[in-house]
This record gives sequence, structure tokens and C-alpha cells, in this order.
Amino acid sequence: MKIDPSMLKPSAIANSNTIKSTKSFILKYQVYFLIGSLLILSILPLFTNRSYILGVFCRIFLYSILAGALNTINGYSGQFCLGIAGFFCVGAYSEAILSTAAKMNFWIILPIAGIITALVGLLVALPTLKMQGIYLAIVTLGFSEIARLLALNWTSLTGGPMGIKGIPVPEIFGFALKTSRHFYYLYLVLAVIFLFVTSRVIRSRIGRAWMSIREDQLASKSLGVFTSRYKAINFMYGAFWAGIAGAMYAPYVRFIDSTYFTLDEGWNILSMVIIGGQGTLIGPIVGSVIVNYLTELLRPIGQWRMVAYALLIIVMMWWRPQGLAGASNSIVAVKGETRMRHRKVSRKEAQA
Amino acid sequence: MSSLFEAKGICKYFGGLKAVEQVDMTIEEGDVFGIIGPNGAGKTTFFNACSGIDKPTKGNVFLQGEDITNLTPEQVAKKGMARTFQNIKLFRYMSVLENVKIGFHNQLRTNIFDSILHTKTYREDEAYANRKGLEVIEMVGLGRFTETLAGNLPYGIQRKVEIARALALNPKILLLDEPAAGMNPSETHSLMMFIKDLNKAGYTIAVIEHDMKFVMNACNKVLVLNFGQKICQGTPDEVRCNQEVVEAYFGKGVATGGATNGHA
Amino acid sequence: MKEGSYANMWDTPPSYSLYETGEAGRMDYFLNQLINGICQGAIYALMAIGYSVVVGVVGMVTFTHGEVIMIGAFAAYYMFFLSGNQIILGLIVSFAASWVLGYFVYKVCYERFFNAPRHVSLLTTIGFSMLIKNLSQIIFGPNQKPMLDVVEANFFRIGAVQISELQIVIIITVIIMATLLSLIFNKTKFGIRLKAVSQDKTASYMVGINVKRVAMLGNCLGCGLGGIAGLLLAVYYQTIQATMGGPLGMKAFASSVLGGLTDVRFSALGGLCIGIIENLGITVTTASFRDMFAFGFLILVLIIRPQGFVSKKGAKV
Repeated sequence: MKIDPSMLKPSAIANSNTIKSTKSFILKYQVYFLIGSLLILSILPLFTNRSYILGVFCRIFLYSILAGALNTINGYSGQFCLGIAGFFCVGAYSEAILSTAAKMNFWIILPIAGIITALVGLLVALPTLKMQGIYLAIVTLGFSEIARLLALNWTSLTGGPMGIKGIPVPEIFGFALKTSRHFYYLYLVLAVIFLFVTSRVIRSRIGRAWMSIREDQLASKSLGVFTSRYKAINFMYGAFWAGIAGAMYAPYVRFIDSTYFTLDEGWNILSMVIIGGQGTLIGPIVGSVIVNYLTELLRPIGQWRMVAYALLIIVMMWWRPQGLAGASNSIVAVKGETRMRHRKVSRKEAQA
Repeated sequence: MSSLFEAKGICKYFGGLKAVEQVDMTIEEGDVFGIIGPNGAGKTTFFNACSGIDKPTKGNVFLQGEDITNLTPEQVAKKGMARTFQNIKLFRYMSVLENVKIGFHNQLRTNIFDSILHTKTYREDEAYANRKGLEVIEMVGLGRFTETLAGNLPYGIQRKVEIARALALNPKILLLDEPAAGMNPSETHSLMMFIKDLNKAGYTIAVIEHDMKFVMNACNKVLVLNFGQKICQGTPDEVRCNQEVVEAYFGKGVATGGATNGHA
Repeated sequence: MKEGSYANMWDTPPSYSLYETGEAGRMDYFLNQLINGICQGAIYALMAIGYSVVVGVVGMVTFTHGEVIMIGAFAAYYMFFLSGNQIILGLIVSFAASWVLGYFVYKVCYERFFNAPRHVSLLTTIGFSMLIKNLSQIIFGPNQKPMLDVVEANFFRIGAVQISELQIVIIITVIIMATLLSLIFNKTKFGIRLKAVSQDKTASYMVGINVKRVAMLGNCLGCGLGGIAGLLLAVYYQTIQATMGGPLGMKAFASSVLGGLTDVRFSALGGLCIGIIENLGITVTTASFRDMFAFGFLILVLIIRPQGFVSKKGAKV
């Protein structure tokens, strides 16, 4: 066990307080930053009406939710879920089927799709509660493939390889959301709701329980946290939002088939979480922005785009494995790096 | 009125290995109960069997007359038994206060909707956890470290954080597994004083320890294990004079050589 | 996205003829599917053996195995293209090609991550597999290529059950490879080092084993076996494609997990089981459900036995 010797000196105690105040300053600053960017984002469609640009933003919002949902599972409670694409798939197909076959209203379907996906999440979580690490990973991976294959082969329900066409667009009081600008606002609102809700859940008793499971499950149990229950809740929560994202996605593209929900899609979302930084609220958003931006930037080079993307992932892992938003205060960060940064801060503070 | 904690005929076998064999233990309210024994005597295994982490092969565990043998660790903790671990199990990347707040988990009632809507329950719960958490941290004397990441603290202080976290459960009985392991003599001494203070504050404590001096000074009852079996139980003075105990610690040759006085 | 098309390729298993319906016909179909399953299971077993050697020695889970298999298949394709039907030469070349790829996988994905959190190397392997997959789509072209016939399509019949010469060759090759591997593991100094490294890296380091080198060689060995599996698959299905790796890597992973990840023999058993289950499963439904049987079986086994087939607790990976 390594002990940072600077922590023993009285100066370090003062440092920890200054660090605290810096932190709270950043936190305060973060609020303004959030409000500012929200304002910019909300007036942005007034300046441009190019559906291409707004479409990219829509993707960014959508993947912020998906990556954020995965982050609540992988980053906050330390489970190892690789099957987020499966939840996305369930949500999207729920919306598509309910709106085309049952002709239900989008706003009713949205929570229903979320709940259906959450129940599926529970179904995946229940048998896997005793499993850990890679066994959980392979089961979620298998689930994701099974969901996709069901979508591909259960022709009577999902249209099979033909997919589901003509998914109706959502309406608000008879006003149909058709253009990319409308969807831009819909996605923005839902992404903000997601961020708001998640940040509140994370800072409550439930979020603390999740993080304690991530840090040390046995200790968490010995303190009376019913870990199985909280892991199940965690899975359901992540699945719920992935389902919501799926349900938002279906009416936007108007046509879905199983090719949207391959393992590659899962890797895509996973890499957003990890490039952005696991276990942070802002990380998945950063990851979503970067990955989507790069996707668009590199579109002209065709197949080489994926090569460049793959190289980016490898380079990220080599140089900054804790992600850009740097979850230095969690177990998912690389330990050596964390210690170094702490020491640097204390030294700087000591000089001041 | 039955005693606070009772273990009856606890056996724990790993395959053919009898790690713990027919051990009884009774702890009354207000005790500081020491469990000692050489390395590999089965002390930690016995503790694990008592706190639900491993089910005992045979035997029963009672807390306030209630059978808790087959409960999970979570349920045992909820019944009012808190424990620490031999190799410290802190939430290393969470602050000390957050560590302690998890100890209040079962005293809070916030559900997911409360936390989203910040209802009255949520605000009361958070205020309670913050207030009581700071109280506990003050009590163990870690007020300076409230916001420090637990993993960055020195070893002795991490032990205290772990104890503080266990105290947050408001336990009826506190099990400490080798709290002085890896500490230097002065740290051990301050820990001993700390445990005595806790006992004065009304906590019942069971402690596993190697350090004879520690046990003899801090505990009012001592149980000695060797090779998974109970070889002696009594007050520190009784144990000190017990021939079997001396043999277990020093071997027969030394015992007959008479070099035992005061050293045990 | 294009993986679907490779799955479609499997819709017509190559070596059974259609039987008339009816009880007897169904039974024969079933038996033939069992034979097909054993043959396919043998290939999966070889993939899984390679996979568990890699995971055991390196101590990290990999997602590059599918691409390793694919490279082996392509190496064999070009070798057969140049040399005619020299099957031994093909085996050597695909083994060597995958060995070389394995070396790069080791350098990129494992070497610097032995002490890092697990997800780091995992994501690097995902990135690396994307890299290889897309590069080979650019180099080899995205379309399916027909494989040359290297084994003559003779059928042996036992009653209504038929088994092709190709299937016999495949099963024999797999058995030979498995035997060779077990000889390496049990009789050579290198094999003992491999076992030591896979059990405890620190302890191996202490007794003077060059852990990184042994891990590298072990990884390359596992990848080489994957390459041979790729050759066998290519010969069996008569087609290859740059995107074939994805589902195959998943199968290797699944088989290996069934066997407890690091136990070579049980992983082989896992591969065999998945192959048989798949082929028997599609006797009751259509072939497009093939992968669902594989994963469904895996999940079912893991629910009943969370550590796979092995009775002892598997290595922590």
C-alpha cells in the first residue's frame, strides 16, 4: 500500500481544504458553464436550418443519453455491461411496434418503451447478479446479439430483414414534429432531463450505494447495502434510459431494422463512454461529441474513417486511459496517474 | 434475558480442513471481547462465520436471542452487527465523509423518485446523513480529513475510517478484525485507547488481535483459539496463566523452561 | 453491419442433402446435423483452445480473436491460390500469418497494460479488431471470395448418415493440433513456463521467467491456432470474407467462457458443445437462428454454473 507522505504533514491538511474550495469553485463554474451552453444550444437552430448540422447535433444528444445510460452501469456501479445496443434495440422496436401496429401516441409510448426495456434489463440482471466481471460481460453481450437476432428473425413481429417502415412522427397538441429542428429540440430536452435526473440520482443514497459496490462489494455488503438489489436497480435504470433513447430514435429515422443494433453499435457507445471518461457525468457527453464530430469530419475518406476511428481508440487507451474528462477520483482511473496528479496539485498549492 | 451475542458450536470446514471446530462464544452487553490465537488458528474464519460472510458448516449464531446464522451479510448488518476487515476494505476513491455516509444506508428512506424530485424525505435524509456523519467523524477524531479521498490516507487513519464507517451503522455489536495489524507501537497504543473510549461510550466490541499486550489491556474477556479449536476462555489474567495458551504461543519447550512470566 | 451477410452464408450448411420429410427422413437429417455439428464444433474447439491459451497466458480478455481467425483464413486463401492444394503448406502459412498478427496484438493491446484496469486493454483489443477488420476490407475487398477446393468432396455413407472426407480431414487436423498443444504444455520447458505464467505472473517473475516474453509467445501460439481454425472454416464453408471475424470471435469467446476461460480442455469441450447445439438447434427452426442457440446455450449454462464447466473456480480475468 502506497501512502502519499505529503498527506501526513499539516500543510497537506490545508491543501485538502484548498483543493476542496477549488473543487467547489469549479462546481459553481460548471453550473454557469452548463447554463451558458444550454442557452447557446437552445438558440442555435435559429441561426442555421441545415438539417445536416442539426442532424449531427441530434446524434450527439441521442448518444449522450445512450453513453450516459451505459455509464451509470459501467462507470458508477462498476458492472461490466457490453450489451447496451441490445437495450437500444428493445426500446426502438417497442416504439416502432406500438406506434405502427397499436397506433399509440408517441408520448404514451415513450415511458412504456422505457419501462419495457427496464424490465428486459431486470431479466438480464437477475440471473447475472452473482456473476462478476467478464462472465457478466459475455452474458450481456450474448443478450445483445440475441435481441438483434430476434429482431432479424421474428418476422411476424419485427418485419424481419425488411424492418419496420413508416413509423409515425410524434405530435404535440396536433403539431407534428417533422423537421430536424423539431427533433433537435426534442432530443435536447430529453438529454437535459436525462442529465438532470441522473445527476440527482448519483448524488443520493442510491448513487452512493452504486459507487460503494463499484469500489468494494464485500465492504458494501457488510455495511448493509443490499448489493443484489442495487445492482438490479442499476441495470434497470441504465436499460430504462437506453430504451428511451431507442424510442426517440425510431420516429426520427422513420424506418428501423436490425442492422442499426449490431455489436459495432455497442462498441461505438462503449468507446464514447471510455473516451469521455467512465464514472463522470460529463464524460459520456464529451465522448459523444468527439466521436460524432469525428465521424462527420472523417466521412469523406470512406472506409478509412473506421480505420482512423480505431486508431483513435487505441491512441486514447495508450495515452489517456481514464478518458478525456478524467475520472481521477474513481477506481476506474489508472492508479499511478491519479497519484501523480494529486501530488502535483499539492505541490502547487504549497508554493502558493 | 439472553446475552447480546451468542455463537454455539460453530464449525467451518473447507473440504477436509477443519478451520473452525466447535467454538462457542458469548458476549454480554458492554464487553470488550478479545479473540486471540496464533496465525492460522481460524480467528478470521470464525468471524466470517459469525457475520454472515461465510455460512458455518455447523452451529448457530444468535444476536439478542435471534438466530442470524443463515442471513446474508447485508441482513446481518441490518440487524445491528458491524464489522471491519483484516485487510482494510475502504471505498478508496470516495471521500471519508462519503465512506461514512454509506454506513447510514439502512437508516435512510430515500427512493429513486425522492432523489429525482428532491422531496422532503430526500432533504431530511441528506441532512441527517451529513450531520450524523460529521458527528461520527469528529468522534473518531478525523475532522480534518472529511473531504480527503480515503485511499490517500495513511494506514492507521484508514483503520479509523473503517471503524467510523462501521459505527455509522449504529451497531449493537462491533467486530474488529485485527485492527492493529501493520501499526507501529504508538499507533497501536492510540488505537487501544480509542477502543476503550468507544467501550465507555457504550459500544460492545469483539476484537481479533495478535498483540497480547493490546488484548490484555483492552479486553475484559478473552477467547483463545488454536488449530480451529477453543483452548481457553476467561479474563485476561486467567488466560495469561493458562498452560495451554502459553504452549500454543511459545511451544512446549519454552513453556517448561519457565520463561513465560510477564511475557505473554 | 455486414455481418448479417456472413450469417446468411451459413444458411445452407454445405454437406447434407435434403431429405424427404417423414419420421425416418427427420431422423436422418438429425443424425447428419449431429455429424455437421461435431465437425463445426471441432473447429470451434480449436478456436476456443487458441482463445483460452491467449486469455490464460496474457490474463486479459481479447476481442481480436475473430480477426486473427480471419487473417488465418485469408493467408490460406492466398497460399492455395498460389500453390494449388498444398494443405500442409496452407496450414503453415495461416499459422505463421496469425502468429505475426498475434505479435502485433500483443505489442499494441497487452504489453503496456498488465497493471492497468481491465477495461483498458479490453477496449484496445476492440479498437485493434476494428482496425484490422476495416483495413482488410480495404485490402481484400468487402465481398465474399470463393475458396478453392483443397479436399475432394467424397462422401462416405453409413446407412443414411453421410460424412464427407473434408469433415474427416478437419476433425483429424483439430485432434492433431490439440495433441501437439498438450504435448507442448506438458512435455516441454516452454509449456511449463506457459503454465506458470498463466497461474501467477508475479511468482513466475520471481523464479526468473521472462514473463513478458513467455506471455508474448503464448499469445502468438494461441493466435496461430486461431489461424489454423480460420483455414479449416474457410475450407469447410468454401467462402471467406473480411467481415467474417466478428461472429467467429464471439463464438470463440463464448466457448472459452463455457470452459471457464482459461482451462484449455474444457474450452475445447465448450466449443464442441456450441457447434453441436447450433446444428441440432436449426433442425427445429431455421438456420438464421443459429447464433441464438449458441448464445442462449451459453447464458443457460452460466446461469446454472456461473463459472462454466470447470468445477474449480476459474482464474480471475
